Order: sequence, then C-alpha cells, then structure tokens
Amino acid sequence: MGLDDEQAAVATDAIKQLALDSGATVVGIAAAGAFNEYVPEGHRPTDFLPGAQSVVVAGSLGPSNAAWQSPNRRLMEITGYDFRENVASLVVAEHIETAHGYQAIQAPALPTSGQHPPMSMMLAAVLSGLGTRSIAANIILNPTYGLLYYAAAITTMPLVPDHQLEDNVCPARSCVKMYEMEGKTPCMAVCPADEGGCIDATIEGGEISSSYFNRERCSTRAMNFGIRGHIKQVELLTAADDIEEAKAVLHSDDFRRNLAAIGRYKESVAQCFECMRVCPVGRYRRNLK
Amino acid sequence: MTDVEPDWQMVKSEVLSGALKRGAAVARVGDPDALAAIAAPGQAPVDLLPQVRSIIVLGGSAPRAGEWHSPRPEVMETVGTADRMAALGSAVARRIEDELGYYALNVPTATDQDDKPFLDFTAAAVISGAGSPSLAGPVLHPEHGFLYFTVILTSLPLPADEPLDAPACPAPSCVEMYDERGLTPCTDVCNIDDGGCLGGQIQEGLVIGRRYDSNRCRSRVYHYWIPGYQAVLDRVLSEPDAERRKMMLYGSYFTRTMWSITYSNVSQGQCFECMRVCPVGAEQRALR
Repeated sequence: MGLDDEQAAVATDAIKQLALDSGATVVGIAAAGAFNEYVPEGHRPTDFLPGAQSVVVAGSLGPSNAAWQSPNRRLMEITGYDFRENVASLVVAEHIETAHGYQAIQAPALPTSGQHPPMSMMLAAVLSGLGTRSIAANIILNPTYGLLYYAAAITTMPLVPDHQLEDNVCPARSCVKMYEMEGKTPCMAVCPADEGGCIDATIEGGEISSSYFNRERCSTRAMNFGIRGHIKQVELLTAADDIEEAKAVLHSDDFRRNLAAIGRYKESVAQCFECMRVCPVGRYRRNLK
Repeated sequence: MTDVEPDWQMVKSEVLSGALKRGAAVARVGDPDALAAIAAPGQAPVDLLPQVRSIIVLGGSAPRAGEWHSPRPEVMETVGTADRMAALGSAVARRIEDELGYYALNVPTATDQDDKPFLDFTAAAVISGAGSPSLAGPVLHPEHGFLYFTVILTSLPLPADEPLDAPACPAPSCVEMYDERGLTPCTDVCNIDDGGCLGGQIQEGLVIGRRYDSNRCRSRVYHYWIPGYQAVLDRVLSEPDAERRKMMLYGSYFTRTMWSITYSNVSQGQCFECMRVCPVGAEQRALR
C-alpha cells in the first residue's frame, strides 16, 4: 500500500533531516519525471532505477572558509572537499531501503563516456530547487551558499518534491551593475574568453541572455593535476625521443603531484576556483572572525 | 550591548574533547608564532592563513595492537590509517567554522611544489607538546608512542600548550642499551652503517649527532606507492626488449604499486621496523 499525502510529507521531512544530519549543507527533492523534459533517454532517473519516483539531492560546501582566505593559491589546488554530499546521499539511500522498504540507489554522476555523466547532478540541483545555472562555468549557484557540490539518491519512494527556484541566482545585482558599467561581470573579468579565458555572456534586463563557456579550456585548468595531468605525462613519456628527457618528466615533482592527486583525489578535486573566488553569491558567508 | 569575551579555556576544552571523542588520542594547541620562528620560508602558519591565532594538533590512528603483532609484514605494509586523522581534522575545522564562526583550515597532508610540505607537521606537534622528536624520526608521544598527526590552523584565540618538559626519546631502557652496546633498538634494527637509515649518539640521556638517510628510508617506507611506480616506469623506459617491458608493466609489483596509490589511505607506510622495536608506547601495543 502506498503512502497518503500526510505520510509522504512526514517521511519527506524526516529524510531531508537525515541528509542534513549526515553532512549535507542543503537538501532538496525532485520528481523523477521532471528530468524527462530536459534530458534524453539514457540520462533519466528511471533509466537507472526502473519505477523511480523521486530524486533526493544533497549539496555540501567545498573548500572551508579559511581555505578561501589563504594567500597560497596552491593550497586551494589540493584542498578540495570531503564528499559529505556523497555520504549523505548514501545514508539516505540506505535508510529508504531499510526503514521504508522502497528501492534506492546513489545516482551515477562520474563521467563514463566523454565528459557527460550518466546523470546530471547540476540538473538534479536545479530541479530540486537548490540553485540555478550561472555565467561562471555553468556552475549551479545556491542563493545562500553559492558554490556547492551535489550528489543524489534515486528512489522508488514517492516523496513530496520541491519547487524550482522562481528567481535566477545569477547574475547577482552587483554583477548586473558592473556589467552595465563595464560590459563584464566579476567572473567574466577574471577569466574572459576573448583573452584566453573560459567565460563570456551577455545580460539583458537583469537576466542572462546568452552565455559562453569554454569547457575544454576550463578543464585543463580546473583539473590540471590528477587523471588528465597524468595521462598528459604518459603521452609525453611515450612520445619522447630522448630517454633522458622522458626520465626528467618521470622524476619531476609535477609527475609525483599528479599521482598524489589520483591517490588522494578528494584533496585535489579542482585546481582553479578563480571565477568562484570573485562571485558575490554566498560570499558574505565566507567572512568569519 | 557589548560582546562578552568567551572563556577561551572552555572553548579550547570543548574543541579538544570533541576531537578526542571522535578518535584522536592526543589533542593539543600550539602557538603559531613559536612555529613561525622555526619554519622554513613560506611555511609559517600565517603564510597559509593570515588570520591564524592558534594551531590545533591532533594525533592518533596508529596501527592497532593486532596489526603490530601479525606475523605477516604484508599486513602492516597495506594497513595504514593516517587518512583517518586527516578526515578528523577536516571535521573539526568544519565544526569550528560552522558552529563557532572562526576560520579553520585543516592543512593538507599532500605536498606543495618541489615535494615540500605546506607546513612542518613535526615542528607543529613538538611546539604544541603533542610529542617530541625521536632518534628514529617520527614524533613520539610519551604515552602513545608513534602517532599520525593532522594540523588545523584557526583564528580562534585559544590558550597555547607548552612543549613537553622531557622528551619521550630516548626511553630509559634505550639509554641503558646504548650504554652497553652503543646502539638503541631503532639504530640496531636499521643501522645506517650497515645498509640502514638510522644512527646517532646518546650523551647524558639526550640524543646528539643524529644521522638519518632520508632517501634510503623513503625507498623502504614508500616501497610501493609513487616512488615504486616511478621506479618501474624508469626501468621500462630503459628496457629495449618489448617482452620484458610487458613483464614489468603487467607484473605483480607494478600492479601492487598502483593499488597502493589508489588505496593510499590503507598503504601509508611499508616499513615500521624502527617503531616496532621502540619502547615508547609499547604498552599500548601489548594486549591479551
């Protein structure tokens, strides 16, 4: 027998609280069917869990506020985050199966083909009302916290979905003002596409009217160390004509750093935060005593 | 209305007892200025966090008694637990920021450019009294012996602890052994004059003239891991025979070294011999 509206509301609140208690900074719920309008078959919750009804989305903060303050930018390169949203989504999935008897899985979010993840956590965050797309690398900005990392649990349990945000978080008012005066926002100014950067956009009537994001260029900066950096170095090793040249690459601190980034991935999930460093959304929350 | 100055001793007690409850064996607070005075250029606490006013040092997560007693060295080679301290450090830092509203930065355990640490964890542990340097190398806590450490820099103005009054090393039994044989347990098991890493003298109960071959030690402690990976590829690049190259790449050593990289949290060190014979904290390793 299914849940009535009141039971579903009570269960929804309890599951959200559980996600927060498990480390999520924010939590929202999307109806599984809401994805169908935006993504093709193969990328919808029901493609991964037949009969899926709901998607519980957990978001958590990345670098600590102190890390944002550090004058040593290399510290941010390896101070990623602690995957608390993943923990929260796993706890939620396990709880739904054991306490409610519905099926639940963690949503697959790591790319398995090209740069596309099987299921988009960005879309999940938008549909569950946790944020909206921004000019800055399309990052989903939460109105309170700005940059967050997202994970989700897909379940056959019918939960009460949240509404999408009514207002776009980006551009912030101060960014609109800057754009009107200078033709660019803080993120466009710090990483302009027409000057070797990744970001460009136009704003009309206080809303994004067009945006451009050079993902390939961004990924070589944001993911400089780690799997891609290591692949690049293996390519250098195999292509080197001179064995001494190859050994110089092999024994460089950069080579070690790439491998360390693979081994300790959570400490090195991104190596460029500059567009987010200047973003005003949630910035006041990074100021502590 | 004016802000009432918090009782910082109480705040310190709450933060540290929370860390101890969550798995730290030792929790101390150090003075950032004391560390800055001995830090290498660019490695002072203020270089990482301009607002720093305290250093929290957490130690713990040493191998368990059962692991020390396993007759199979492979157990200790593959079961390190240092990442638990790093995770605890992140959680404590997060709590300080979320609940107390002060900056808190868990210093990364990974290295900065040129393979240098962001901060000297050994010096941080010593100035905060979380342990003292040893002839063998690791910081030793008088009660727990060998521990892994994590360091949190914070703008919380906590009262600093003092360094230990008396060093944990050399232990009285080591001084006795040295007086008899000119060796301690650690310099005996890994003698620098006999292909090992450690040497030194003890005079009036204090270590003087310590000798340590860090390169040799590194190649043993990190036998499998990044240096092992580099060593195999180095040989592969120099090997003209294609079949031999394949043997090296598909061999168990290379496979194992890849496992240790991807599972680095369970493979922090592969040689614990100097610590195995160390009497400091030995009672913690002796159970029924």
